[in-house]
Amino acid sequence: MARFFIRRMLSLVPTLFIIVTLSFFLIRVAPGGPFNRERDIPEAILQNILKRYHMDEPLMKQYTRYLGDVLRWDFGPSLKYRDRSVNEMIDNGMPVSAILGVSALSLAVFLGVGVGIISALKQNKWPDYTAMSMAVVGISVPLFVIGPVLQLFLAIRLKWFPPGQWLDDHGLKAIILPAVTLAFPYFAYIARLTRASVLEVLRSDYIRTARAKGLKESVVIAKHVLKGALLPVVTYLGPALSGIVTGSVVVETVFVIPGIGRPFVQAAINRDYTLIMGEVIVYSLILVVANLVVDLVYGLLDPRISYK
Amino acid sequence: MAFMQNDEDTVNEFNQYVKPVSLWADAWKRLRRNRMAVISLWIVGFYVLVTLFSPLLQSAGILKSYTEQYIDHQNLRPSFKPAGELVIERLEARLAQLEESIASRGAAGDTSYSSGTGFDFGPAPEIVFDDEEGGESEGTAEAEAEAEAETEQTEEAAFEYTYIDSVQEELDRTKAEIESLRNTIHTDPIHSRVYILGTDDLGRDMLARTIYGGRISIMIGLVGTLTAVLIGILIGSISGYVGGMTDNFLMRFVDIMYSLPYMLVVIIIMSIAGNKGRGSIVILFVAIALISWLTIARVVRGQIISLKNSEFVEAARSMGAGTPRIIFRHLLPNTLGVIIVFSTLLMPSFIMQESFLSFLGLGVSAPQASWGTLVSEGVRGMELRAWQLLVPAITMTVFLFCMNFLGDGLRDALDPQSKNRG
Repeated sequence: MARFFIRRMLSLVPTLFIIVTLSFFLIRVAPGGPFNRERDIPEAILQNILKRYHMDEPLMKQYTRYLGDVLRWDFGPSLKYRDRSVNEMIDNGMPVSAILGVSALSLAVFLGVGVGIISALKQNKWPDYTAMSMAVVGISVPLFVIGPVLQLFLAIRLKWFPPGQWLDDHGLKAIILPAVTLAFPYFAYIARLTRASVLEVLRSDYIRTARAKGLKESVVIAKHVLKGALLPVVTYLGPALSGIVTGSVVVETVFVIPGIGRPFVQAAINRDYTLIMGEVIVYSLILVVANLVVDLVYGLLDPRISYK
Repeated sequence: MAFMQNDEDTVNEFNQYVKPVSLWADAWKRLRRNRMAVISLWIVGFYVLVTLFSPLLQSAGILKSYTEQYIDHQNLRPSFKPAGELVIERLEARLAQLEESIASRGAAGDTSYSSGTGFDFGPAPEIVFDDEEGGESEGTAEAEAEAEAETEQTEEAAFEYTYIDSVQEELDRTKAEIESLRNTIHTDPIHSRVYILGTDDLGRDMLARTIYGGRISIMIGLVGTLTAVLIGILIGSISGYVGGMTDNFLMRFVDIMYSLPYMLVVIIIMSIAGNKGRGSIVILFVAIALISWLTIARVVRGQIISLKNSEFVEAARSMGAGTPRIIFRHLLPNTLGVIIVFSTLLMPSFIMQESFLSFLGLGVSAPQASWGTLVSEGVRGMELRAWQLLVPAITMTVFLFCMNFLGDGLRDALDPQSKNRG
């Protein structure tokens, strides 16, 4: 187990290295820089600016310098907001985005699994139909439609929720709409997945055996069905998390949440290269680590997988 | 040659006529039994026809131009009434408000106009000063220009200007406007235009814009899917059939690409494309298609590996068929079902991704507009003009809905014992 864990950890290194390298060169090779303005800057000033960001050095030297900086967890100054460093902006936004992401993910998983089980047990009865039509809506409607529509009807028209402000002003109530919006598609997918796999497990021999032993139905479900049925859900957690991370960019834009998603979009529009790089590295790190955790959990749940 | 074979097939060894039941006929029969899938098929067909023939509809005069702007007609609500009447209605509502405002102010005796804001007009439900939204407001409302001029004035001679004056002025102007509109409404053909789905903040027809947005969105979905499928088939089939080192190399490459955060890479590409490149749909295609072939490649590879040792491949090889012929003539047609199912499910995800980028301002840009652009424009004014959000949002949702239903239906039809039914 420990050896597997270490090997898996080590395999993260090339992935992250590739991400850093790829994004670095993609950005540097592209024509036009962040300092290209409509008005020409005098050559001397431009040289000074380039010097300040070490952009006058040869590309390889810049690259090794950047790698060193990243290893020390230093992403350098933002190119657009001159007085702030990328680290500062990420540190400020991170807690907010983390709260949003974690609450959305747990909402999606717990509600999704719950609804999925119920609709599998009540197959082809009304709870099943309601849940599954909701799931279809969740899968087909994009986040940036659900978000504004919920905001329009629940926050602005009915005034049940604050339309945009984050925790400071409204407490926990402010988190509900963004988290629900972000969780909805993944809730839907997890519910469908759980339903399908619970139905399949219910037909299997070991469940028949468990019932034949005279176990109570609740025990059969909780102890035997769930353990087998949750495997596909655990595998889906990786893609779900990656979707929630990218989706949070939209949700933060729609609900005006001061996380790390909004600066990322702004950076992409402004071509604020250091900020884009920093954000991409942070996001990739989250995703890669999350996938590792998913792998480990998968192994714990499925005895057929052994860590050798 | 192919036709000949088919003809021979229809007669069995006793020279009896046999109606062949191909996989496709079988699948079609199953699909037709799935009512939701059939309805979805019709709706998708309708969307495709309407978006395909929208230039024809426009030249026939049924559809309005999606670029034509009438400043007078901005932000009209959806209605079957002609635009002129709606404008008058709105102006009258504004008039009533101004009068009320004057009456209440006069009663309170508060005549002096306090400093600073030029926006203090009291409640104004129809005209919004969304200055900070910037960008799109080339067709600024008269009122907005007025307001700006006013702020300048107040800066120069703040105390000469009183609130009542400004309201009175606007009152008079509104009255004059109504008067002139009443005179021209029956003669000027512009005022008899009907906007069934309302107009946007530049006075463009929402119906036309939604249809043209759909044109771009669906086109991106189609082209993206086609590229992804082509690359995926090529890489997947080579990797699966050739095997060995090639397979190993290609699949490690796919694995690495898989572990990259897909959307983030696309955002980087869109960002380095810069302002000029960002609008171009081509770069969007490239960015999306560059990474989206991975799943297809994996699926095709799996299928090919499971088929490549079967007898018919053996037979083809013993008859001297080369690798390309075996792949394209014998193996791929057998994986077509899976590929079709994947493509139908891929298309809505492409449309979603494109709209996602456009929503963030990184995708299609003006003068072109996709559904994502329209939704993001609609979000800006949704508090007062909900239709600008709801019209494109609902249109898009219905299409995605149908594509998903169709994909599910096709999967059930073509691949009845599919295990991974979500």
